[in-house]
Amino acid sequence: MSRALALVTSRGGRAASLALLLLVLVSFPGWGGDYWTRILTGVTMWAALALSWNVIGGYGGYISFGHVAFFGIGAYTTALLMKPGTGWNFFATLPVAGIVAAAVAVIVGWPVLKLRGAYFAIATWALAEAVAQIANGVGFTGGSSGMSLPINASTSFFYYAMLVACVLSFGVCYVLLERSRFGYRLKAVRDHEVAAGSFGINTTAVKLQAFALSAVIPGVLGGIFAYWITFINPASVLDGSLTDQMVVMALVGGLGRISGAAVGAAVLYLINQQFLASFGDTTSYIAVVGALVALIVLFRPDGLVSLFARGNQTRLVWQLLGRAIPRARPSAAQRPGKTKEHA
Amino acid sequence: MSLLIQTILNGLLVGGLFVTLSIGFSLSFGVLDVVDFAVGEWVMLGAFAGVASTTWLRIDPIAFLPVVFVFFAVVGWLVAPLIYRVRNSRNARPALMALAFTFGLATLARGGMLTAVGFDPRTVKIGVVQGTVTLGAVEIPTLRLAGFAFAAVATGLFMLFLYRTRTGLAVRAVAQNKEIAGLMGVDVKRTSNFVYSLYAGLTSMAGVLIGGIYSITAQDGPTYTLMAFFVVVLAGLGSVGGVLVAGLVLGVLESLVTVYVSADFTLAIVFGILFLVLVISPRGILRRGTA
Repeated sequence: MSRALALVTSRGGRAASLALLLLVLVSFPGWGGDYWTRILTGVTMWAALALSWNVIGGYGGYISFGHVAFFGIGAYTTALLMKPGTGWNFFATLPVAGIVAAAVAVIVGWPVLKLRGAYFAIATWALAEAVAQIANGVGFTGGSSGMSLPINASTSFFYYAMLVACVLSFGVCYVLLERSRFGYRLKAVRDHEVAAGSFGINTTAVKLQAFALSAVIPGVLGGIFAYWITFINPASVLDGSLTDQMVVMALVGGLGRISGAAVGAAVLYLINQQFLASFGDTTSYIAVVGALVALIVLFRPDGLVSLFARGNQTRLVWQLLGRAIPRARPSAAQRPGKTKEHA
Repeated sequence: MSLLIQTILNGLLVGGLFVTLSIGFSLSFGVLDVVDFAVGEWVMLGAFAGVASTTWLRIDPIAFLPVVFVFFAVVGWLVAPLIYRVRNSRNARPALMALAFTFGLATLARGGMLTAVGFDPRTVKIGVVQGTVTLGAVEIPTLRLAGFAFAAVATGLFMLFLYRTRTGLAVRAVAQNKEIAGLMGVDVKRTSNFVYSLYAGLTSMAGVLIGGIYSITAQDGPTYTLMAFFVVVLAGLGSVGGVLVAGLVLGVLESLVTVYVSADFTLAIVFGILFLVLVISPRGILRRGTA
């Protein structure tokens, strides 16, 4: 058992299983059927959204409670550009959606990222409320009755659009956060801002870049989502519960882990669909999400994925065998990224 | 002209309630070192307790206030140790995790109430104080006057407690420096629990009156959380004195925007000003808070 798990988590094994996963994902519309393709489109979208939240929340150490604002801004940008009269090509609108979202992130992030984390949480949240109210109130967004987009009924078109966006997001985030100097700088700032600053890192700039990165992704995804559902209004693309869902997915998956977002998104999205199917509403789902966030923070702050981390697995196996934990294993407290924060 | 005076007066009267709901919030931030995202949910739950008192028990909500206070103080007393535990845990980022925890609690309260009562707006029917008082050219709704009177009494008692009792001294000591307060023999954990439960009771009482002045739905919690945030940011995070000014400012601002612009843009304008304050003076307009 433990050997099989070790094989999956080894470097070569990981690459192989990733390739296999990609193969399954690419070929899925061919054999999975329309219903499951749509479900999987949702999963890939939420995986990328949870990842984007994780960039600033898990890697940056700043919790954004208004991430839905960027999603909604992206959705409205695409909708406005594709309107008859403007009539842009769908793919041309996506970069614009991403850039607009990032620009808003920079403008809002610049003053508050210098302050304590609480201010950032408040400001992002207030931003989301304000954006929703503006979209409701002004004329060109259609107010609460929303906007319609041209109809494209192809299920696989949106599946592949989401998949490409999702894979690109994961690829870019992996390289930037785990394999580049930017990632080191960001983690250094998160773990000890003063020390990072004394090494010559421009801490505000690093945080601002991370926030812009984490806003581009929902901006682009929002654009794809708008075209997918062909009709958007503030209740569908600017609702606070979308942020709740990103937060809980990232927490379930584990903060500051690339793979965590995908796991959290898959688990939560399927639960969400099950709730919709069996209760027909989402209000009870909101309560479940809230309870889940609270419980994870209380009992599993490293996320559910930490249950399957390598050290824990072997420890679990040893415990099941009734033996003592081998001493050479690094304990949870000694792993990197565990220093006390100064938020 | 009389419309302007009327509007400002209405705003000041509601502002009193904003002070009440923000003052405990500000203090619990100082003591627990956690920004409580559930503050608006206490308002919402309090308002629904008021609705329950009229529809089920047929008691006037004003007479029901002490029960609301005791009930939510007990709930707060039960919740506070959990927040304390998360905040002082040894995991990677306790402050952020504590934020996420209260966010989870707020979401749980909102989802639970939405499931229980749905999206319909309700009003707390306060029978004792009705009609208006005419003062020259302006008419003051008695309910708002009563709300302000309640806010003044509650806030006054709270300030007396804070500045004139030994426990209040301990609370202020903990808010200033937990370690040293602990060395002076203050039980930090007990004080934190106490402050949080006091704040929960106070805020939900304010919620009963807010639910009488405005109507309330189960999803209104975040709006009031935003109001409380606005007040404490304007006041400077952790500054109790600034709250008195900032709460009234918010009341007048909200009232002016509703009358002269549109109620649809209140939050957007509130956010705009919040943002400006953060850019210009993150320690609050009186420069008393911590940045």
